[in-house]
Amino acid sequence: MSKKVLLSLLSLLLITSFLLSACGKATEAPTSVPATEAPTEEAAPTEEATEAPTEEPPAEPVTIQFFYPVAVDAPIADILKGYIAEFEAENPDIKVEPVFSGGYGDTYTAIMTAIDGGAEPPAVAVLLATALYDLVNADAIVPMDGYLDQMEDKDAYLNDFFPAFLENSTYDGHIWSLPFQRSDVVLYYNADLFKEAGLEPPNSWESWAEAAEALTVRDGDNVTRWGLEYPSGWPYWLFQPLAIGSGQNIVGDSDTEVYFDNPDVIEAVQFYIDLSHKYHAMPEGVQAVWGQAPTDFASGQTAMIVHSSGSLRGILDQADFEVGVMPIPGQEPDTYASVPGGGNFYIFKGAPQEKQDAAWRFITFLTQPKYTADFSINTGYIAVRQSAYDLDEMKAYVEQVPQALATRDALQYAGREFAVQNLGEVRNIFHDYLQKAYNGEMTPEEAMAAAQKEADAALEPFRE
Amino acid sequence: MSTRRTHSILPYLLILPTFVFVAAFTIWPTLNATYASFFRQRLNVARFREPTFIGFDNYVQLFHDPRFLNVLKNTFIYVLGTVPLSIFVAFIFAWLVNRKIKGLSWVRLALFHPTILPMVSAATIWMFFFTPDYGLFNTALSWLGYDGPQNWTGNPHLALLAVMIVAFWKNAGYYMIFYLAGLQSLPHDVFEAAVLDGATTWQQLRYITFPLLRRTTLFVTTIAFIGAFQTVDHIFVLTQGGPSRASTVLLYYLWQIRFEYQDVGKASAITVILIAILLVFTVSNFMLSERKEGA
Repeated sequence: MSKKVLLSLLSLLLITSFLLSACGKATEAPTSVPATEAPTEEAAPTEEATEAPTEEPPAEPVTIQFFYPVAVDAPIADILKGYIAEFEAENPDIKVEPVFSGGYGDTYTAIMTAIDGGAEPPAVAVLLATALYDLVNADAIVPMDGYLDQMEDKDAYLNDFFPAFLENSTYDGHIWSLPFQRSDVVLYYNADLFKEAGLEPPNSWESWAEAAEALTVRDGDNVTRWGLEYPSGWPYWLFQPLAIGSGQNIVGDSDTEVYFDNPDVIEAVQFYIDLSHKYHAMPEGVQAVWGQAPTDFASGQTAMIVHSSGSLRGILDQADFEVGVMPIPGQEPDTYASVPGGGNFYIFKGAPQEKQDAAWRFITFLTQPKYTADFSINTGYIAVRQSAYDLDEMKAYVEQVPQALATRDALQYAGREFAVQNLGEVRNIFHDYLQKAYNGEMTPEEAMAAAQKEADAALEPFRE
Repeated sequence: MSTRRTHSILPYLLILPTFVFVAAFTIWPTLNATYASFFRQRLNVARFREPTFIGFDNYVQLFHDPRFLNVLKNTFIYVLGTVPLSIFVAFIFAWLVNRKIKGLSWVRLALFHPTILPMVSAATIWMFFFTPDYGLFNTALSWLGYDGPQNWTGNPHLALLAVMIVAFWKNAGYYMIFYLAGLQSLPHDVFEAAVLDGATTWQQLRYITFPLLRRTTLFVTTIAFIGAFQTVDHIFVLTQGGPSRASTVLLYYLWQIRFEYQDVGKASAITVILIAILLVFTVSNFMLSERKEGA
């Protein structure tokens, strides 16, 4: 009898220890932590845990978490670590804990899930500039106006950012984000091949299409070199310069209007299709080759690609020819177009006030011209402050890599990046129909008309 | 008397940890999702941030939405296309490698190695295989005389097939292991008797081997069916559900609704539908085979 009682007691002990080890945490704090709390909570114990015998006269350092995604082939983690060390040296009352959180989508999901579960989000994170409306509607971020108004040189500060990079930061009369890792869409062309063929870099749709046609090499039925590869697996971003170059962007300044069925936009869709069907310079249909395009270009499989400025570094490393970089040609001669992309800093509401303040100091530190210049040189992103290009290290860099200047210069032709309310749904609608047009399942007119109709329905609840 | 009482508690105590985890991570979320599916809640629309009760509206909207119906159709094709074929081929592979052939370990390695790759790595490799013109898959096909469309991930008629191919390639080796284990535990005397009676290899396979492996088949069918619904990592890498949603299946659509559209109510409704499909299948699968056993 006693043996069986002992056995039951032992199994109870085993079970209890299982439960404790599962729900408990690494710290010895006797917390009864429910399973839903996200690991982001671990920042808090570092703050409160010091029951150190020594008294520190100033307040203990505020520790903030910084979630950052990595979207290009560059050693961002190491670079940020260096910056953070320098920041902490200058600001001994703040500690920054960098957390690599995947891509932009993963970062967004991780933060929103933490907020959903009632945990404290990171004080600062880098998310897509276009995530603005979703974040504001979810009441997840704080506006930066308060901090900006306290700056002495607020206007000089804001005016020094490239205007194209600030276009997705304002909503409802407030500024909600500041640029950090930004890029734009450019046309990479093989300057050597152009010289060989006696061609000038294109300056209009027509000269672009003709150049692509001339540079396409066929061996019987097989194409050994395309004139142009134009990725369209996730098409909206690379498509926007075509629309802008045609005269009408797919969005305007409003957060609830899209212009898919505008005749200029339809012309842009038709031009994309013409490049393959009429000029035979490009693979037909949807080109799901975002990852391969830079390598194809660098290895000579294609004479031109449309891609992110962020791929410049990788292309230069691989190419053994002169790489030309220019904005996307517009429809009319001597017109050009581009569109910005990339991520901004956001400060999150769920973090306590002192962490938000610390986050703001971190953001102003990293947006200093010398850090934006250094970041640009080491990653291939465009430096977000205009004055960064006056710094010596930047001048030396662009002497070596003049293409970096070309990516910056494309910004002057940039239109606003596609961002509206209900962005996920509207974007998917656009992608669906754009790809149907590219694949020939619908004509551009039909596809864009259908897209406009469904997008309007999706945006209707947001229009006052 | 007290002896009988302690006896009856012990098994329950031992199951308790597992039950707690299942309750916390399976049953509770399922109940939660069912509850949430009756509300409208969208996290990216300020006035819908708090849930409001709307009854079965989410379900009604879903089944009237041509997109959702298309997703169901894609899922149906995907599951029907990958599950029976993977199981059948797994059985054949297992039967093949269960013999003494030259280079057996290499053959087993070749058939099994896709399983040890993480799905995202496998999908990334296949993304390069599928590249038009010079991708390995297209090169191999052209050697075999294929001259049809090559844009596997960009062609709406091929995109679903492309993700099915990757899923099949990844899983056939995994199911092979179960069949191999089953084959190796089969009694030899039955086969000896069959050979003595003059049974051909095919007859042995059809009338003895396969029926004896019924339990393994039941198990493999269940995990293959559930796995076909659950594994969508390769879709994220290869096609992002496109082009034009041609390769969007149920779980991928669910992810989009929850994390891109932030529509909690609708996502919960899709969750419930997904769980219902899996439950119906699993229960009926077990009941069907139980009946066979009894007969």
